[in-house]
Amino acid sequence: MQPPRFIKVFSIGVVFTVISAYTPAPQSGTGLSKIHLPYAKAGLTKQQAAAHLLNRFSFGATPGELDAVVSMGLENWLQQQLQANLPDEEVNKRLATGYDALAMTNAQIVNTYVRPDQALQIGVAKGLIRRDSIKVAANTADYRNIIRTLMDSANLKPVNELHRQLINQKVIRAAYSNNQLQEVLTDFWFNHFNVSLTKNQSQQYALTYERDAIRPNVLGHFSSLLEATAKHPAMLEYLDNASSVSNDNNVTNPRLNAQLQKRLEKRADQLMEEGQTQQQARLMKQIAAQKKNEGLNENYAREIMELHTMGVDGGYTQKDVTEVARALTGWTLYPNSEFGAGSAQRKILERIGMNTLLQRGFVIQGDFLYRADKHDQQEKNILGHVFPAGGGYEEGMRVIELLSSHPSTAGFICKKLATRFVSDTPSADMVKKMTAAFIKSKGDIRQVLITMVEQVDFWKPANAHEKVKSPFELTVSAIRATHADVQDPFQVFNWCARMGQRFYYYQAPTGFPDNAAFWINTGSLLNRMNFGLAFATQKIPGIKMNWAQLNNNHEPESVEQALTVFSEILLPERNQEENIKRLLPLVKDVRIGAKIAAAADKAAPVTGGEMKMAEERPLKKQERKALAKNSKQPLQIPYTAGTNSPIAQVAGIIIGSPEFQRK
Amino acid sequence: MTNRRAFMKSGAMALFATGLGGGLPSFVARAAQSQKLNQPYKKGKVLVCLFQRGAMDGLMTVSPYTDPALKAARPNLYMSPAATEGKLFDLDGRFGLHPALEGLFPYFSEKRMAIVHGVGSPNNTRSHFDAQDYMESGTPFSKSTPSGWLNRAVGLMGHDATPFRAVSMTNALPRSFYGLEESLAISNLQDFAIQMRGNPMAANLAAKSFEELYDQTSSSILNRTGKESFDAIRMLNLNTIRNYKPADDVVYPASPLGNALKQIAILIKMNVGLELAFAESGGWDTHFNQGTANGAFARNLKDFGDSIAAFWKDLGAYQDDVTLMTMTEFGRTVKQNGTGGTDHGRGSCLFVLGNDVQGGTVYNQVRSLAKEELEDGRDLPVSTDFRSVFSSVANAHLMINNNQVLFPGWEGASLQLMKG
Repeated sequence: MQPPRFIKVFSIGVVFTVISAYTPAPQSGTGLSKIHLPYAKAGLTKQQAAAHLLNRFSFGATPGELDAVVSMGLENWLQQQLQANLPDEEVNKRLATGYDALAMTNAQIVNTYVRPDQALQIGVAKGLIRRDSIKVAANTADYRNIIRTLMDSANLKPVNELHRQLINQKVIRAAYSNNQLQEVLTDFWFNHFNVSLTKNQSQQYALTYERDAIRPNVLGHFSSLLEATAKHPAMLEYLDNASSVSNDNNVTNPRLNAQLQKRLEKRADQLMEEGQTQQQARLMKQIAAQKKNEGLNENYAREIMELHTMGVDGGYTQKDVTEVARALTGWTLYPNSEFGAGSAQRKILERIGMNTLLQRGFVIQGDFLYRADKHDQQEKNILGHVFPAGGGYEEGMRVIELLSSHPSTAGFICKKLATRFVSDTPSADMVKKMTAAFIKSKGDIRQVLITMVEQVDFWKPANAHEKVKSPFELTVSAIRATHADVQDPFQVFNWCARMGQRFYYYQAPTGFPDNAAFWINTGSLLNRMNFGLAFATQKIPGIKMNWAQLNNNHEPESVEQALTVFSEILLPERNQEENIKRLLPLVKDVRIGAKIAAAADKAAPVTGGEMKMAEERPLKKQERKALAKNSKQPLQIPYTAGTNSPIAQVAGIIIGSPEFQRK
Repeated sequence: MTNRRAFMKSGAMALFATGLGGGLPSFVARAAQSQKLNQPYKKGKVLVCLFQRGAMDGLMTVSPYTDPALKAARPNLYMSPAATEGKLFDLDGRFGLHPALEGLFPYFSEKRMAIVHGVGSPNNTRSHFDAQDYMESGTPFSKSTPSGWLNRAVGLMGHDATPFRAVSMTNALPRSFYGLEESLAISNLQDFAIQMRGNPMAANLAAKSFEELYDQTSSSILNRTGKESFDAIRMLNLNTIRNYKPADDVVYPASPLGNALKQIAILIKMNVGLELAFAESGGWDTHFNQGTANGAFARNLKDFGDSIAAFWKDLGAYQDDVTLMTMTEFGRTVKQNGTGGTDHGRGSCLFVLGNDVQGGTVYNQVRSLAKEELEDGRDLPVSTDFRSVFSSVANAHLMINNNQVLFPGWEGASLQLMKG
C-alpha cells in the first residue's frame, strides 16, 4: 500500500525534535527542579490537595488513587506525570485489536481509509470500475452499494472507520492511561492547535496529527509543538497553507515560471487539437495567469499568530500576516496518494529526481515538503525583522522561532494554560509568574506547569471546584471513578455530542472555548443529568461497572452508609456531610421507587438487605396501591445489585448533580 | 397548548405558575423584573434560517432558461417551461422555477416570496467546508471569527434570554450559532426531559432530585441554568409535542427537514420566546446523476419545497411574525460534468419567504452565461454578496441596525427586498 518513497531527508531540527520526544527521561535527575506545593498555605489538607491535583492534572481519580497519591507524595506523583513514561499495559491491551490505523503512516492511511468519492477515483484508476458505470445508480442506495463492492475488492475502508479509531483511542487513553497528565495536555494542545474532521481535505490526517505532532510534544518545548503542527499535513490542509504559493513566481523564479508557461501552452495546444475553440484555449491561458496571481493564502499565517502564538492583541499587523504568509509559501505536504492529483504530483517530483530537487532548494521531511518553486523569494519584514531577498525554507523556521519566543506568545499561552488548569478567570499575578517561567525556560511547558502549581493561588479554595468539566471530562471522570469497563468507547462520543462536545469535529480553528458558560446551557445540562442516570443504571451499551464490587462486595448496612460510601467514591474530599444531608431524602424516595418498579416488574432480585420501612417516609396512596398489587412477592431490594438498584439510581443522580460537574 | 400570551393578557401570572406545578419560571421572573420588557413573552419576530449543505445547483432550481448558453452547456440537464423540457414555472419570462417546487410557487405569485440569484461569497473558495464556514461566521476572509452571524444577531436584539431564544434543530451547534449568546441545539424536542429508559417513575424521582440539588448548589451558573432547565421542561410540555396536530390539511414530509420545521412550528406556536431557528438539509452535492424534472435532485428539491410549504401553512396566524430564509455555500458549474451532474461553482440562489418580504421578484445581477461572462470561465459569478441579503432580512425583520457588528469589516449595501 505504501507508495515507494524515494528518499526522506530529515533536517537537524526534526531529528532533535524526534529524539527529545521519544527518549524517555531518566527516572531520577530529570533536570526539573524540586517541586514545592504550597497547599497548606491555602488551608488545604494533604488529602484535599491530592484531590484537587487529581481533578486538574488527570481525568479524575480512580477508586483508591487519592490515597495512593497521598502516600507516595504529591510532588512525586507530579514528577512522574511530568515525565509521562509509566507503562500503559491496560491501554495497549485495549488498543491491541481493531486499531490498525494507529500504526499506519499518512501514506498508508490515505490509500486505505477513503471517502466514497476517493474510492471511486481509485476504482477507476485501478480499472475496477468504469467512471460512467455509476450512471446506472438510480439512487443513493444503489450508489452506496456500488461503492461498497468496489471498496471491498480494492481493499479500501471507509474513512468513518478511521475516525472511529481516532475517537475511541482518545476515550481509552483518557480513561485508562497511567500517564494522565499527558492525556490531559494532549486534549488541551489538540484543541489549541485545532484541526477538524469536518474538513474533507484534512480529515484523514487528524489521527497522525494527534499521534505524531501533538502527543509526543505536549510536555516539551512550545516551539517543538509549533513546528510539528506547522509541518503536519493535517494543519497544512486545514488552514490551507498547503495550497499557498507565491504571487511573484514570475519575478522571483523565472526559470520555473518559464517551465510552467510552457506546460500551459502545451495544454492549450492540445485543446486546439482536440477540436476545442480558440476561445477555450485563450481561457485556459487566462486561468493560468489568474492562478499565478492568486496564489497567496493567508489563513494559516493569520491563525498561527492570532490563535497559536501571540494572540489577537499580541501586537502584529495585517502587514505581518501577509509577510508571514509569504515566508511560508511553498510549505506543503508530500503528495502521498496513489491516485488522483496527488499521484500525478508525486510522479512529477520523482521524475525530476531527488538530487535536482535538493539542488533547487526543496526540503523533504517525512510528509512535509518545502517547494522552492512556490516560494516567494523577495524581501520580507516580519515583526520588525528583515528577511533578505533570496531566502527559502529557513524563512519558515525563522518565523516559528520568532513567534515561539515572542513575549506576547508567552503571555497568551500561559493565560490559556491557567484558564484550563486553575480557573476561567485566572489572576493576573498567576499568569505573570507563569509567563516569566515560560520566557526564562524558553518555552519549557513543564517549567510553566511547575510554576503554576507552586503558586498558593492554584490551591486557594476559591479556585477549587470552580472549573466546570467539559462533557469529555465528565464522561471520563465517571468511568474512572467507577472503574467502569468500556467495551464500546464510541458511546462516550455519542453522549459527549449530545452534551455539546463533538470532539474532533469543532469546525473553527479556535477550538472549543474553555469556560463554564460555553458548556452549560439548558439542553446540555439536561443531557448531563441524563448521562448520569443512563451511565449508572448501565443503560449505555458497552459500558459496564459493578457497584457492589466498588464497595468490596459489602452490602451497605443502611441508607446512610450506602450514601457515605458511594459519595466518597464519586466525590472524594468534598463536603460529604452536606452531600449526604441533601441526598438522603432522595435515596429514600428512590428506594421506594425501586421497590415499586420491582414489584411492578415482578422481578425482584433475591439477595440483599431487608426492607427498612421505618426509616423511610410513609407511602403515598398511589405507591401503596402499586405495592399491594403484588404483595405476595417478598420485596427485597439490595442497595447495589441490579441496574435499577437504589445505589445505581442515586449514583446516577450524583453523577448528574452539580457537584460532579465541577472539577 | 399553553399559550403564554393569553395568560399575560389576562394578567393571570399566578394561575400560569400554578399550572406549571411549581414556582414561576425563573427566567419569566427575571424578565418580568427587568426594565427592558413589560411583557416578558410579548410575541416577537422569528427568523428561520435553512442551510442547504453541499451547494445547491441554483441554475437548475431557478433556471435562466432563455439563455442559449445554458442549453449548450447542459445538454442533459437543461429545463424550460416547455412541457417537453421539464415544465418549469415561468417566473418572469427569463427565470423558471423547478417543478418540484410547486409548493413554493404560489408564494412567489402572491409576492410573499422573493428569490435572489447569483448570490454567494466574495471569497472564491470552492471548498464546502471553507465556504460554509465563511457564510456562517459572516466573515468571508477570516476563519478565526469565534462567533457565528446568527449568534451576533441574538446579541444585537438584546432581548432577555429564554432557553428557546435561539434553537438549532441539529445534533451539534452549527457554526452560525457559535458565540457568547446562549443557544440550544436539539434534534428532537422530546429529548428535552429527564429520561430513564423503561423506568418513567424513577425518571420522575430523579428529576425531582436533580431540581433540588441544582437549587442548592453554590455554583451560580449551574444553579441558574438548572432552574431554567426545569422551567423549560415544564414549558415545553412533552405531551403537547407528542400529540401535536398541524393545522388542517397540512402534512409535513416524513423527512429530517420536514420534522425539523414541524418542531420549529411547535416552538413558535408555544410562544416560548423563540427568535432565531436554524435547520439544515443535505444531499445537494450533486456530482452525478442529477436528473431533471425527476431524479435525485428533483426528489431533494421536492422535500425542500414541500417542507417549507407545510411549515408556512401550519403557521397560520403566526405567519406575520416569521420570515424564512434559505442559504447554500455556493452554486455549481454551468457546464454539466461527465457523470450527469455538476461540480463546485460560485453563485447560487436563495429564497426569502414572509409577509414583510417584497416578493414576486427574482432579484439578480445575473448576466449571460456565455463563457466570457463566467467566473474563471466556468461558473455563474457571485454578483450579490450574501451579506447584503442576510443584513437586509435581519435589519427589517429583526430590527437589527448594526451591520458593523453583524458582519464585521463589511461595507456593502443591503439589498432592498423587504417592505418598509
